[in-house]
Amino acid sequence: MQKMKWAVWIVVILFVAAFLHYELPRHDIVRITNTYNRLTTVGSENSWAYASPDTGTAESTVTRDIRFIEAVFPDNSVIVYRNEDTGWVWPPYFKYDSSNLQAVAGNLKSTEAAPKWVSVTHYGWRFPFLSIYPNAVSIKEVAGPNATIIPYVTIVVLAALALLLFMVRRMWLQFWERMVDPAIANAEEAQDRVKGFFGRIGAWFATWRRKS
Amino acid sequence: MIAIIRLVFFGFIGLTVVYWLVALYSRSERREKLEKEFDAGGVEGVRDDYIKAGLDHYEHGLRRKLIVLVYIIPALVVIATVYFVDYQ
Repeated sequence: MQKMKWAVWIVVILFVAAFLHYELPRHDIVRITNTYNRLTTVGSENSWAYASPDTGTAESTVTRDIRFIEAVFPDNSVIVYRNEDTGWVWPPYFKYDSSNLQAVAGNLKSTEAAPKWVSVTHYGWRFPFLSIYPNAVSIKEVAGPNATIIPYVTIVVLAALALLLFMVRRMWLQFWERMVDPAIANAEEAQDRVKGFFGRIGAWFATWRRKS
Repeated sequence: MIAIIRLVFFGFIGLTVVYWLVALYSRSERREKLEKEFDAGGVEGVRDDYIKAGLDHYEHGLRRKLIVLVYIIPALVVIATVYFVDYQ
């Protein structure tokens, strides 16, 4: 039982960690090599990692034009970002400037000989076998490939989530202490009274039994 | 445009639920504190009157009014996010 409990907790924590890792913004220092849009078919297996149909850049659920940004890391490994609006609900980036972002990315394209390093803020994962791409949220030029980016947003969001969790726990405990425990105590008291009543009847009948 | 109206509408409903939960919690904390104050002794008068007076005072206090931040903070966060993502 104890092992089951641990297993459930580990699964829950892994899910939450994966969820946060997917949704929270991260920064890559890269060099943009190409920007384009490509007619892309979104299937049932990966539609969760694309914009929902009612956001600005996604009119069709199945096949649509999606903007992509190709980039290279300082170590020459590559990454491809998609560039889609997020709409107004989830994930809550409220991004509706994909066209502008594509223009910014195009403007910052550079060659290996004359590199322009940029910090791409994005969320999401690149899984080639699922054909999913991280969504670029903003692009900023940085001094060089070793620039440090402090992830303020992630720090603030994680701190706020921790505070929220703490408050929910306190509210839950307060509710339990003030509402549920007294109710249980009342019910038990009532049960005792009932037992007392029938108990007395039982005792009264017992007085009629022949003493052995 | 429809999406933003939907966000405001459902956001308002959701935050109203949160508002009531926080308001109930805060009032419950205050009531518990008043009960404990009275039970610690040294307070004149009837217990229920003391608690009622304390809660009336709380209803008009700053702490009660600050719960409105439940609506204001998320709205500010959304506005700030829109600004930093789309206009920077």
